[in-house]
Amino acid sequence: MSIGPRLTLVPAVALALLLFAVPVAFVLREALFAPDLSLAHFERFFTRGVYIAVFEKTLAVSAAVSTICLLAGYPMALFIVTRPPRWRPLLLFLVLVPLWMSILVRTYAWMVVLGREGIVNNLLQWLGLTDAPATLLFTTGAVYVAMVQILLPIMVVTCYSAMTEIDPGLVRAARVFGAGPFRAFREVFLPLSLEGAVTGWSVTFILSMGFFIVPALVGGRKDMLLGNMIVNQVGQGNWGFAAVMAIVLLASTVALLGLVRLVASRFLYSPREEQA
Amino acid sequence: MIRTTRRSVLAAAALLPLFAGAAVAEDVELTYAGSGGGLAQVMDMLFDKPFTEKTGVRIKPLATTDRVSAMRAMMQAGNPIWDVAELTPVEYATASLEGWLEEIDWAAVDPNNLLPADAKLKDGGVAATYSTILAQRTDKLPEGKKMTSWADFWDVATFPGPRALQDSVLDNLEFALLADGVAAKEVYAVLSTPEGVDRAFAKLDQIKPHIVAWWTAGAQPVQMLSDGEVNYTSAWNGRITQLKKEGVPVEAVWNGGGLKPSYVGILKGTKHKAEAQQYVSFMITDPVRSAEFAKMVAYPGMVKGLYDHMDAEAGRELPTYPENLAGQFVTDAVFWAKNMDALQERWQEWLLD
Repeated sequence: MSIGPRLTLVPAVALALLLFAVPVAFVLREALFAPDLSLAHFERFFTRGVYIAVFEKTLAVSAAVSTICLLAGYPMALFIVTRPPRWRPLLLFLVLVPLWMSILVRTYAWMVVLGREGIVNNLLQWLGLTDAPATLLFTTGAVYVAMVQILLPIMVVTCYSAMTEIDPGLVRAARVFGAGPFRAFREVFLPLSLEGAVTGWSVTFILSMGFFIVPALVGGRKDMLLGNMIVNQVGQGNWGFAAVMAIVLLASTVALLGLVRLVASRFLYSPREEQA
Repeated sequence: MIRTTRRSVLAAAALLPLFAGAAVAEDVELTYAGSGGGLAQVMDMLFDKPFTEKTGVRIKPLATTDRVSAMRAMMQAGNPIWDVAELTPVEYATASLEGWLEEIDWAAVDPNNLLPADAKLKDGGVAATYSTILAQRTDKLPEGKKMTSWADFWDVATFPGPRALQDSVLDNLEFALLADGVAAKEVYAVLSTPEGVDRAFAKLDQIKPHIVAWWTAGAQPVQMLSDGEVNYTSAWNGRITQLKKEGVPVEAVWNGGGLKPSYVGILKGTKHKAEAQQYVSFMITDPVRSAEFAKMVAYPGMVKGLYDHMDAEAGRELPTYPENLAGQFVTDAVFWAKNMDALQERWQEWLLD
């Protein structure tokens, strides 16, 4: 490659170094010096049960939220991509509208919807289905509902853009050769769209791992994620320990995504490899 | 615009000889490490400018954060670039334990003895206060009853209904001990023993199932009270006053409130200790100025006579109003600076359990 095209990367690389690599290096330094070089903060994290429990919970919630998003978002994307082209921009627009609202506003909106005197409870009581307000807010369920609602558009868009790459002629060819619509989907469309689905799952997983506002506002006392603990420790001036948690979060997210990529490329997208 | 500017320049020029004269006599500038923003504007108007006019000592306010790190660096270098600093309870406790603050000569700073003993520490003074109090929705109380203490908050038979507390070990351990019958004065003595901490957590076990939400931001308890999400919650006093003004039927229970001071300290090694003490005195021992400050920011100081310069209705909403002050305890910053890490860990385990 000549030098020209590489130059176009300079601004992006400079930004990434300045705004990501340098701050991460600072965080790492904060974690390792307490104030002298030591692993004391890491030892605290890995030897006390409470931090590991919260870390496992963060992984479990993130995996579950991304999977729910995938199960709901993939069919939505499929629906949009199979509509006539003139309808698609409108449908995509409708999916994207919530993304323009801040997460904080949407989370507060869920509080209004799920609260004791909220819309859902009022409706349930008006219909005579319940006598007293049901506990919906400040529960693990509320955390899932709010997180899925916030992340779903990202999943739909990611799956959709992968699906538009698929040549519709391939599905038609399968039908011509006698495959039923379901079989054509399963054997042609689905394998080709899987990479997009895995990317969508990965992106929502990364975002979920860093959530803290949603669990803090709509969750109960056990719905504490690693992000909440980081906020907590920073607030108390324990930057070193907060830095350790941030590094564990970053490293585990990167490692998990690497694993997902590896497994997916080995077992899911092999047809494409053969094509190449 | 141009006209205004020109006029103010002229005004400044006219005043210049006055200041120049004072400056020649003293030529001292104090660096004040504050929080910047709106608070700095109020301080500039109420404290800094009048102080310079009176003494000729100029004040250079800085907007600072993470003051502990900054002070540590200054002390290591042996050269404090701040003379006076505003300190949160934990910052004050850290600075005090590390010996970064000058001792204050209270006989010189408060000659008329207008500050209560609680406000005069060996190496710092209380500049402003807020309180974590119990707030109740008065329209949701049982007929003819009203909460008056943390024991009532724990009494779910007499006062049924959803409750909230802050997701914070600080305050909740104190509240639990008060509810368990410990006197406000004894709270930290009890908490300093392992049995005392166990006792507080055991008391918290009783209320745990009745707490629907553990708030993390000061706006949440206000929101939950106004939405009817909870009937009773701990909250910061200024927010409850605000909510009341908006017409929500809420009331603060001052008894058992955790009073939290913001401190002012003089940095060890300052070259202008006498002037720094003068400035501290000017800031926190004048009832008239302190009343003006409290009217503007709602975080009153502790000087006696402050409420003589404010109407009672406004005064009753503030944490240092004599009737409100009586039942509160002052959060022990030194205790928390020493024990926060261990107790916070236990708190988190307890919450997840």
